[in-house]
Order: sequence, then C-alpha cells, then structure tokens
Amino acid sequence: MNMSSAHKSNLGWSAVGAVCAIVLALLWAAPLLWALSTALRPELETVSADFHWLPQAWTLDAFRKTLAAGNLLRWLFNSALVALSVTVVTMAISLMAAYAFSQLRFRGKGILFALAMLAFLLPFEALLVPLFRTMNQLGMINSYAGIVLPQVVSPVVIYVFKQFFDEIPADFREAAVMDGAGPLRVLWSVYLPISGNIVWAMAIVTFIAAWNNFLWPFIIVTSTDMMTIPLGLTQTYDAFGVRYAQLMAAALLGAFPVALAYILFQKKVTQGFLAASGLK
Amino acid sequence: MQRAESSIAAATGSPRREGLPALLLLAPFLAAFILFFLVPAFETFWLSLTESSLTRTNGFVGLANYATLVQDPSFWDALGNTFYFALLTVIPLTAIGLLMAMLVNHFVRAQGWLQGVFFLPFVLPISVMTLIADWMLQPSSGVINHILGGQRPWLADPSWALPAVAIGTVWWTVGFNMLLFLAGLRNIPAEQYEAAALDGASGWTLFRHITWPALRPVTTTALILQLIASLKVFGQTYILTSGGPFNTTRVTLHYMYETAFTQSDAGYAAAIAMAFVAVVILLSLLQAWLVRYLARRDA
Amino acid sequence: MASVRLRGIEKRYGDNLVIKGIDLDIEDGQFVVFVGPSGCGKSTLLRMIAGLEDISSGTLELDGKVCNGVEPAKRGIAMVFQSYALYPHMTVAENMGFALKLAKVPQAEIGERVRRAADALQIGHLLERKPKALSGGQRQRVAIGRAIVRKPEVFLFDEPLSNLDAALRAQTRVELAHLHRELGSTMIYVTHDQVEAMTLGQKIVVFNGGRIEQVGTPLELYERPANLFVAGFLGSPRMNVIPVTLAGEEGDAAVVRLPDGSTAAVAAGAGRLAPGAALRLGLRPEHLRLASTGFGATVGLVEYLGDVTLVHVQVPGVDGMLAVKVYSGGPAPASGSRVALAFDPARAYLFDESGAALSSTTAHAAAL
Repeated sequence: MNMSSAHKSNLGWSAVGAVCAIVLALLWAAPLLWALSTALRPELETVSADFHWLPQAWTLDAFRKTLAAGNLLRWLFNSALVALSVTVVTMAISLMAAYAFSQLRFRGKGILFALAMLAFLLPFEALLVPLFRTMNQLGMINSYAGIVLPQVVSPVVIYVFKQFFDEIPADFREAAVMDGAGPLRVLWSVYLPISGNIVWAMAIVTFIAAWNNFLWPFIIVTSTDMMTIPLGLTQTYDAFGVRYAQLMAAALLGAFPVALAYILFQKKVTQGFLAASGLK
Repeated sequence: MQRAESSIAAATGSPRREGLPALLLLAPFLAAFILFFLVPAFETFWLSLTESSLTRTNGFVGLANYATLVQDPSFWDALGNTFYFALLTVIPLTAIGLLMAMLVNHFVRAQGWLQGVFFLPFVLPISVMTLIADWMLQPSSGVINHILGGQRPWLADPSWALPAVAIGTVWWTVGFNMLLFLAGLRNIPAEQYEAAALDGASGWTLFRHITWPALRPVTTTALILQLIASLKVFGQTYILTSGGPFNTTRVTLHYMYETAFTQSDAGYAAAIAMAFVAVVILLSLLQAWLVRYLARRDA
Repeated sequence: MASVRLRGIEKRYGDNLVIKGIDLDIEDGQFVVFVGPSGCGKSTLLRMIAGLEDISSGTLELDGKVCNGVEPAKRGIAMVFQSYALYPHMTVAENMGFALKLAKVPQAEIGERVRRAADALQIGHLLERKPKALSGGQRQRVAIGRAIVRKPEVFLFDEPLSNLDAALRAQTRVELAHLHRELGSTMIYVTHDQVEAMTLGQKIVVFNGGRIEQVGTPLELYERPANLFVAGFLGSPRMNVIPVTLAGEEGDAAVVRLPDGSTAAVAAGAGRLAPGAALRLGLRPEHLRLASTGFGATVGLVEYLGDVTLVHVQVPGVDGMLAVKVYSGGPAPASGSRVALAFDPARAYLFDESGAALSSTTAHAAAL
C-alpha cells in the first residue's frame, strides 16, 4: 500500500499524540489513585520506610475511622444542605430575573441589567469584610442562612439564562399571550419547559460551585459543627492528627458527591461551565 | 418584517403594563443583589477611607490608608508573590490545556474518558486538592520524594513552596482551560482542514497556519481568565502553607484577610481590596478589548 | 356581532411612522385579506388588531367597543401564527386546550371542545403526540385547531400557508375556505401571495408602505384597479405598462400616442387632462393579442406552460419586455420574429403621472 507522505506524517503524529495522551492521563489520574491507594492501607504502612505503590494489606479501616470520627458526616450534611439551598434559590431568582430582562419591557431595564452584570467585574473577594460586618449586624454569623445567602447572587447564571431566553422565538410568548397567559404564566408554562437542558446544566454547575466554595464559609463559619466539607477537611489534621490514610479517606469521601455528580452528568457539567464562561 | 425591538417598543408601548410583573420577578434578585453585593461594594469603598475595626467604624481618614498601602513593603511583597504565582501557573495552564484539548479532540473514541480524567480535578473542593498535595509532598513518606529521591520539605522550603502550590493548582484547574480550548477547536470549520490537506499540509503546518490563528480569541480569553483567577488565589496558599515559609506564599488576598481578621483593621483591608479590584478590572477590560481587537483584525 | 372598525390607526417606532393612518371597516363574518409586498405593514396591522403591538394613535373597535389597550386574550380574538408557535413540550391536546385551561374552563369541557375541533380538522388521532412528531401540514391544523377551540369572534391568520409546500398549500387553501363557510366567523388573513388573496378573500385590502392602496372584492381590484400599484400587484404575469401621451378624445374614449408613434383608443375618460399629457397604458397579458395590425414588437422569449403560452416581446420605446398570453390553439411565433399587437379599448387602463387610474367609460365598468 502506497501512503502519501502527509499520511505517513499524520500517522507519526498520531502515535506521538497517543503516547502524550496516555502519559498525561496517567499523570492526571495519579494523585487521586494514589490517594485511594493510601486510604486503603493500614496507617502504619503509610509512613513505613518500605515504599509500595499498592497496599500490602488492604483494609477499609481508614474509612471506618474517618466516618466514626463524627464530624465528617455532619460536614457532608452541611455541604449538602448548603449546596442544595444555594442551587434552588439561585435557579429560582435567576430564572425570574433573566425572564424579566429578556422578555418584559419596562423602564430602566437596560441600566438595571448593566448594573447586575457589573458584578462580573467586581470579585467577590473584595466584599468579604463588609459582608462579614453586615452578617454580624444581621446576626447571621455561623448560620446556614449566612452561608447560603451571599452565594445566590449570580450574574453569570442570569446572563446565561437571558441569552438563552433571547434565542427562543418570540412566537411562543405571543401565542401564550393570545391564549391569555400573564408574564409569570408564560415563564412557568412555556419558557421553563423549553429551557430544561440549560437549567439542569446551570443547576449542576451551581451545585458544584456551592459545594466547593471555600472562601465564604471560611469567613462566616466559626464553629466546627457548622462547617462545610471544604472547611471541614482542613480541620482533619486537628481531628486525626497526622494520619495520612485517614486524611486521604476523608478527602475522598469529601470529594465523592461532586465527583459522582460529574461522572453522572458529564455532558451537562461541561455545557454549564462553558456557558458560564461565555462561550458556547 | 420588523418585530419591535424591546427598547424601541418601550418608546411606543406602555411600559407600565409590564412594569409590575417585571418588578415582582426581579424583586428577589434585586433584594439579594442590593444586600449582598451593592451595599458591600460601596461599603468597601467607604471603609477604605476610614479607620475601622471589624465591628466599629471610627473616623474618616481620607486617603491615608492608600498612602500607607503604597509604602507598605508587605503589600508589595504579597502582590509580587501573587504575580509570581500567576506567572508560574498561567503559561503551563494554557499550554497544557491546549494540548489536552487537541488530544481529546483527536482521539474521539476515548473522548469521554480522556476528558473526564483531565477535568475531574476541577470539580473537586480545594481542600481535597490540598490534602492530597500535602500528602504527596511529605518530605519522608511523600510519593514525590520517593520518585525524585531526597528528603526535601517542599512546602517548607522558601524557594519551592510557591512553585509546589502552583503545580498543584495546575493539576487542579487545567480542566477548565481544556474545555475552553475544546470549544474553540470545535468551532473551526472542518473545511479549512480539508482544504489544507488537499494542499498537502499536515501536522505542524496545519497547527501553525490553521489551528493556532483560529484559536487566538480563545487563547486570549483563556490567558486573561487564568490570570485573573490566579490573582484571586487564596485557599491553596492559606491551607497548605499558611502564607509561609517566611511569607513567601502570602498572596494579596491572604494579606487582606490577615489585615482584616487577625489585625482587625477593616479600613486598611478595604484599601487593599480596592487596589486588588482595580487590577482585576483593568485586566478584564484588557481582555475584552483584546478579543474585540483580534476579531476585527481577523475579520 | 364581530365587526372590526379601524379609524385613523397609526403606528410609530420612535420617529418612524410605519402605519400611516388606516381606516377600515370589516363586517361580521367577512373573510378579509390583507395583502401587499413585504414591509408594507400588513403584519404590523394584524398584530395591532391582535393586541401584540400597541396602537400609537387611532381607535380600534371590536364589536363596537373600543379596545385599544385591552389585553389580547380579552378581545375575543384568536391568531394562527406563521410558524404555528406550537408549544414543543405539550401534546397536541394540551396545546389546543391551553387557553381554555388558563381561562379556568372545567376539564371535561376542555376535553370535549378539543376533541370536536380535532375531529373537524381530522387530527383526532394525533392528540397525544408532540409537535415535533408531526408533519408541517399537521402542525398547521393543530395551530388552527388551537384557535377554533377558543370560539373567538375574530380569527387572525398571519401568512399561515407560507411554510407549506405548493401542493399542500393549494389543498389547505380550499380547506380554509371551507372552514370559513362552516364557522361563519370574521376572518382576517395576511399574505403576500396574491393567489391566496384572490381565491380566499371576500374583501381584499391592498397595502403599500403603511397605507391602504385599495379595498374591494377580488373582481373590483382586478378589473378596476385604483392605481398602478394595485394593477401591477394583482395578476400574474404582471400587467404590462407602456408610457404613452394623450393625443385627444374620440367620443367616449381617450386616444393615446404609443412610443412608435401610432395611436390607439382606450375606453377611459381623459378628464381635465390636456393633449400631450404623459400617461401610462396598462394592458394585462391576457388582453393583448397577436394580430395582423397593431403596434410593432419583436418576439424575445417564448414560454410554453401547457394550457397557455407566454410570449415575451420587446416594444421599441418601452423598457423591459411585455408579456402576452396566447391560449392553446393560437399561433406561437418564433423568437426573433416581428409581430403586431392589438387590444380591446375596453380592456385597457390609463394611469396618470401620479399612478392614479383614469375612470373607465365602458358600460362594463358602470355595471361594477
């Protein structure tokens, strides 16, 4: 068989690429795999001078001890509650706001929208101090409401929804108006069902972001039992001391919910993150 | 057939009719927005002009905080650390992200797996990354030292602490860049490659003359987004090294945090925040401008 | 009584006046067609009647009641959209029943009305399907069914046939006419297609640039166009237009001088126009004959269409080709040959410089 030089060269590149891909994939999977390997071995083995990639003695001891230590489950519960609340509230208020911006006509719409989008420019980090003071005055330090509320302001989500709503042909809204639907009805019965996919995508992304949020809970939470997973995991040194099998077990357990969400909804997560970054 | 643009229609329609439902729909967002963004934003500005603690506001001091800031070596050190961190991360993140995207794009059958492996770290909480990084970087029992040999205490070494954190960050966040580049690659029309193949181009030539130019807007976006994200670093350095050793990993936000919550100097912290915001805004505007410039130039 | 009255209707977008003062009366039960080129404002007017656009000035009366600011759903109006606008996530039954559900009609009655409308439109077997599982023609019926179910006083149609292929269009046209006979409701129908206008409309309103050019029955508009625009808009191929000058009068008829110098008589009144006035002579292709004597022309393109042959000729002094309809059995000349064209004075039209038609002086016109 006679191959063109271009074809040959392409095969060459393919081989290089395959090697690259395998190497990179191994490199990227390695830390988590190593964490897993560590978590599945007895504590003594982790610090022994005799190094092994795989556990010599397989055991679920670390996981058991970690869960029994009491706080991890509490942290998982807190994270779940906070992340779900943030997601539900953010979706609700963002859908309503995006619909108003996209489909309704009212005075000052342009200014209001520009103002909301201004929040893109100002990083959350700059607001930590005054937010803390405000929460203090409202008595919401170290409370679920305190953790959740500042996180529901999401111009990104509103922007994504508004863009999407803008693309929906106006005919559907007009037909619904002719059928006698008011603005809220149109949102609920027409726009929401049509937007199913993108709403799921943004919901999952919001959930992951809320679960992983470190900075704000770090500022607002003052007691161990109110901590979310990202916070709690930093307390593990105090909880377990320097016991790496348990630390890795804790890390993996803390990562499990969001990792699962990603594996189950890979396409939606990808779609959501891309939409949030302003590309399609 | 013209349909009324909302802004045009507003001039002729009756905005009042839709004003009330609009208000109802916007109210929750507006309430949260005002309480948790607008008011704090103004308050940061205001605070930076006062001498305040975390709980009390004392006197108005004008630009005194800023004057202090400009002459504060700790601030400039922190800023320097931040930019050093950015330098260490932005280029690898962009280059590796692009490489990953091209690989994922090319090996279509393994796409789900490949993309998954590269992106999974990004969905993990920061403290998972820090726990694993800390474990791997342990001087005596850490796997890194086992591979490289030696007993170097990476996170306790002033020259290596920040680079170590940077490498961990690259592992953690490169997936996002990969996504950006993937989207960019998929937007390149297949015909361009086909035409080039007919012209006899292959491999490196294809990349240089088709892929790379087409990716310029995405690359710009990715670079600047990455830069801004790097400037916002806090968690990794706080958790892994507490800003040490010897403040070599104390980044700008960390300094701000310390000023506000350890030294209880909210006014000065606010000034740091404002300076920080100024830099971020400048970079964001630069990105927007650059992308538009490139689009016009290539049009 | 579901009459529609428009008085002085205007529509402004910013500084731009797009609908320039419309007065129109539509009686109960009439099938009225709004026709005109794209951008003429016919759809905008329809949407103003529907309540989807606000009326800048003027009054709209439905059934004798002013309803300028009244919400669309409360006007007793239903609309069939060009794109059908069927809710993609609802079944056909839910689509058709949506308005009734919003009006809090009891579930049993909704089911009953939906079923009856669906049966009438022969889509009863599609009630549980979603729009994406339907063909274009079926979707269109659902859109119509959705309107019927509401028992509106006035039906509005916004170019409902434009998304269908030719065969389906012809069939649906017939069904729409049938529907109107059955329901007897007032129907306002917007289209840019003059064939639909001529076949469906009891009354046709020709729009151009935001104004009404002429209102009348198809016959009136075709045989007595009020101006050049209407004359050229209805009829296919278009009416031929030849620039002429007024030569004089001969009894009831005006005599005009053609570009080649010859004269011809036209059954139209010259009125107060002086000889030498520039006029335009309008001749429909079916009213031009290839004769032995007449004004000269050279044959260009000959199109054989089966029942009729279109002969396109070039006449000296006239820009563009004129079209002549030759019916089967008649002579079809070869391209390039010279022919003579003649016409019946009673079938010709004269238009003055502004485009307005000169009044006809035939007994035929008097009878209209």
